[in-house]
Amino acid sequence: MARGNFINKLFSTGPLFLLYYLSISEVDTNLEKLFEVFSLNLQIIIIYFWIIKRPNLMGTGHIFFAGLINDVVMGFPLGISSLSYLVVCFFGNYVRNKSVNTTIASDWFTFFIALIFANLLFFSLLNNFSDVTTTFSKIGYNTFFTLFAFPVFWLLFNLYQMSFIGSQDA
Amino acid sequence: MSVSRDDFSIAFRSALLQRGASHKFSILSLFIVALIIFFLDIYGFQAVKTTRSFINDLVYRITYLASTPTRIFPGINQGVASHFNLKKENEELRQVIERYKAQDLNLEYISNENKNLKKVLDTEDVQSVSNVVLAKVLVDRNSPFLKSIIINKGSKEGIIKGMPVTQNKYLIGRIVETNYLSSRVLLLNDLNSRIPVTFDTSSTQAILTGNGTRKPTLEYLPEGYIFEDDITVFASGKDGIFNAGTPIGKTKDNGEVDLFVDPNQLSFVTVNLIKPTKEVF
Repeated sequence: MARGNFINKLFSTGPLFLLYYLSISEVDTNLEKLFEVFSLNLQIIIIYFWIIKRPNLMGTGHIFFAGLINDVVMGFPLGISSLSYLVVCFFGNYVRNKSVNTTIASDWFTFFIALIFANLLFFSLLNNFSDVTTTFSKIGYNTFFTLFAFPVFWLLFNLYQMSFIGSQDA
Repeated sequence: MSVSRDDFSIAFRSALLQRGASHKFSILSLFIVALIIFFLDIYGFQAVKTTRSFINDLVYRITYLASTPTRIFPGINQGVASHFNLKKENEELRQVIERYKAQDLNLEYISNENKNLKKVLDTEDVQSVSNVVLAKVLVDRNSPFLKSIIINKGSKEGIIKGMPVTQNKYLIGRIVETNYLSSRVLLLNDLNSRIPVTFDTSSTQAILTGNGTRKPTLEYLPEGYIFEDDITVFASGKDGIFNAGTPIGKTKDNGEVDLFVDPNQLSFVTVNLIKPTKEVF
């Protein structure tokens, strides 16, 4: 019984572990070798999905901290990724408070709004306040591919949730 | 109507301020903290800079350790990439040949200069490059917005902001951030990279501009300039940062430059300990 609980807890920390790992490791989701403009923000997908489905697995403090680590590794001004992650987190919280049952379509639509606001904030802060500049097209491609990758990861995370954590939604 | 507005404000407030067992901090409080950190970092007080430098060193080391699995099993990453990119393999072989041609390239540069009776070497503060530091690439994370690498040498070895970084005598970028034990190198293909260059027999001057893709482009060329394939591009040294005559890449007929060193394949680089004569940024 205790062993089962431990394994269950281990699986429950999976999403958070993945978030931290993506933030701190060299593993990236910018597959420019395959397709020059392809890049996606997997961290945002992870945060949004788990905030909606299982908010108890993804604490806001952890999200904030993962953002700071990501900034250090990427060389962005400190706090900029945290702000963008917290925007996504806020939208996720709001959608969870307002809806009883969510579907992949409703999650996808609300994710689009969250993603737009998060990337808009990221882009504005980066271009207006820091030495680092980026182009609108870069952010646009990133938003586009992240948005279209969302259903794929939604299904994968849903499968993970049902297989290892339990099917009960928040 | 008012009920719906109440619903909205309750859900909005709850999303912003709610705390619970796993949410020890409200989003609003973390948002404010993140904003404070952001502006402290941007407007760079000395204490913040020192703290950030310490955090950078620590995090880069952890990143290096955390990325060990991807190094132990390189087949996972590289196998897929090489399968889709046989052209790259061809380029790598070309680079090996180019390495042996490095001395000839320097000669080509000098003869171009002589032909046009320009005294670049007299006017530029060209110093010896014997004082170099060999550094290992700690982190090579491919960001869509910032093309940079982290190396394992920092201010302890005398590295300062602006120093040129090369591999096999080919220019790859410059130092943009130094910590005590590590530094960040901005690569030539980054969106923020601008390098004054010179090329062809008439020593045409241009700016090599990174655009976030693998191949930077040549800008600010003479009016009506027609690009030719396969002309070697050198750093002109006019910015007082890079050594004049450092080879960078070969031109393409669309104005792009095929870099001699693939920015995604760096493992060891050389930092030239030359103090830039102009301030960077």
